Amino acid sequence: MRVNPNPVPDMLAALSETQQQQQTAELQIATGKRVNSPSDDPAAAAVLVQNQDQTAEADQFLQSAGSIQGQLQTVDSTLSTVTTLLNRAISLGVEGGNGTLNSDDRAAIATELSGIQTQLLSAANLSYQGNYVFAGTASQTAPYVLDPSSASGVSYVGNLGKNSVTLGTDYKLATNLPGPQMFAASGTDMFQAMHDLITAVQSGTGVDAAMSELSAAYASISSQRVFYGNALNQLNSQQTYLNTQKVQLAQQETNAGGADLAAASTNLAAAQTAQQATLAAVARAEPMSLFDYLPQY
Amino acid sequence: MSNLNATMATALSGLLADQGALETTTNNVANSSTPGYSRECPVLVPGDPVVEGPLTFGTGVVLQQVESVRDGILESRIQQETQQQGKQDALLAALQQTQVNFSSSSGDIGSAISSFFNSINQLSTNPSDLSLRQGVLTAAGNLATAFNQTAANLETQRTNLDLNVTQTVSQINQLTQQIAQLNGQISDLTNVGQNAGTFIDQRTQLIDQLSSLVDVSVIQSDKSITLTTSNGTALVAGEQAFQLAAQPTAASVSDVVANGQDITAQLTGGKLAGLIQARDQEIPGVLANLDSLASGLADAVNQVQTTGYDLNGNLATGVNLFAPPPAGGVGAAASMSVALTDPTKLAVSSDGSPGSNGNAEAMYAINNQAVAGNQTPTDYYSGIVFGIGNSVANATAEDNASTLVLQQLNDQRGSISGVSLNEEAANLVQYQEAYNAAAKVVTTISDMMQTVINMKTT
Repeated sequence: MRVNPNPVPDMLAALSETQQQQQTAELQIATGKRVNSPSDDPAAAAVLVQNQDQTAEADQFLQSAGSIQGQLQTVDSTLSTVTTLLNRAISLGVEGGNGTLNSDDRAAIATELSGIQTQLLSAANLSYQGNYVFAGTASQTAPYVLDPSSASGVSYVGNLGKNSVTLGTDYKLATNLPGPQMFAASGTDMFQAMHDLITAVQSGTGVDAAMSELSAAYASISSQRVFYGNALNQLNSQQTYLNTQKVQLAQQETNAGGADLAAASTNLAAAQTAQQATLAAVARAEPMSLFDYLPQY
Repeated sequence: MSNLNATMATALSGLLADQGALETTTNNVANSSTPGYSRECPVLVPGDPVVEGPLTFGTGVVLQQVESVRDGILESRIQQETQQQGKQDALLAALQQTQVNFSSSSGDIGSAISSFFNSINQLSTNPSDLSLRQGVLTAAGNLATAFNQTAANLETQRTNLDLNVTQTVSQINQLTQQIAQLNGQISDLTNVGQNAGTFIDQRTQLIDQLSSLVDVSVIQSDKSITLTTSNGTALVAGEQAFQLAAQPTAASVSDVVANGQDITAQLTGGKLAGLIQARDQEIPGVLANLDSLASGLADAVNQVQTTGYDLNGNLATGVNLFAPPPAGGVGAAASMSVALTDPTKLAVSSDGSPGSNGNAEAMYAINNQAVAGNQTPTDYYSGIVFGIGNSVANATAEDNASTLVLQQLNDQRGSISGVSLNEEAANLVQYQEAYNAAAKVVTTISDMMQTVINMKTT
């Protein structure tokens, strides 16, 4: 069979193909990515879009968790102060219940108890970054105000709203307890107990009843405080989980769209060799033909 | 009984035939790198014999014709494949441009969607914070811009493709004009029994070019050819060319019109078909998907926004975050915009208190809800990316395949019609030797004639 006497188009096509292979390998090595355009691997490109979204989401969850963590820690340490104050109040109450005290002594104790009452009020009005944390969702105004008309001398002006924040796929963390659930759970109001104790110590009667009231409030607050401890624990484990997830996502990203650098280098070398060989062939292609052997005259 | 004069004539016929054959070889060598040239071959036949009594004498050789060597069926295969490749080339180039909008990993719609929902999540940790509220508005603005820009890029691409359609139509018209002219020249030559090979080569070359632009069917008659598109629209009939026209329409793109009839949707091959497919199907398809996503997302966000409470405790009825998308969603991506400018109006609260984040959480949950095509925003977007990637990958594969087929067909054409210098050198030697030998015969006969003339009768 007669062969095509003009090999040039085939050679040019071969050259362009090896050049293309070379460029692909170079791009993979330069970017470290196998999928540089969706058409490089459409399915992997779609996975990468989702992976990117999940990675950004995990980063955001970590950032949100960080913001919440600060708040929870502040609240927890304030509650620790509250229990210390209540302990001191209980000691003072025991002292005030001693029947040998005179009215001056009792007045002095009552004054100290009033001081504690004020500190407790300030603790219950704790604000973190401009938000009153025990106000429910009415967090723009101080939830506890002095109110002579109230039996406890203090009234709650917040609401019972609770917030929770999404910190993971299908995972929400409750971030606050409204004041009444923190300080007046199960019918024992801390402010009422303090108010009653102060009145009892001042008058010298009913101290025992007031003391048992305060003890109950103390116990209730201690048990409610667990809410924040738990929240912090959950937050910690969620952060750990998110960091693990990020590692997995990074791994998945590499699997889906990362270049196999060893393979890319090998491909590059192979393409370069092929390119050089083809170039050498093209250079020699300018053919010797029979004309070169015709006799010269 | 023969005579010397007759023998001389026979020898001369050899000289003439060899000279003609040499000329053919020379022409082949001269055209060895002319694109589209088919090698020519001298057709030598023995002269009609003369019968004298019991003897039959040959009367030498006749150069009957110079024939171009070509395979008509192969030529038409090449034309068909060229149409295919013209289409795939145009389509691939267009799709690759479209794909660029979905290749970058930052600033694209996908990352804008992530950033928007992430800003809401951040706001959820401190619902009354004005800078976080502003952050959500900014992210919403970036999201709208990402949709706007992508849609605008695709529209610009469509406009450019449309311009290209108009230019291609005028290229087609030029080619059909030239082919019609060549048809005339070819039939003139063949009418007087001449070889029109060179003109036929030129015409084949032009039909190849035309094939890369539009789907052409070639109907060969004795002397001339008729060209139609594959749906039967006449392009060239004999010496007459029929013009196509690009007619602007209300839809801001041009229709291809032949003889008053719109044939836009019927073109199946060539660059023109590829351009039209990208302009009328591929890009509008991507735009429609973007519109669904933009309108679905805007509607879902507005739905949640308008049922919550703003920072001042007012129910946000009718206070949309995004400008409501057009009914039916057409043009939603191009026109997406943020309607809200006051961050305090963002409905983050679900109970009317400024510290509530209930509505922000509901808004964030849209991230995992079906907003378009029964899919979450990111899933739907990843589907768009997959779709365009797949289209480009398919077009690339088909383009490569048709390039390969065309290359093989051209090889085959070369093996039949290409000029081989070895062959021509061998022919040259052969014809030269034959010419020399014939010349020698002439000399010999001339000597013999001298002998006869010098004979003396006694």
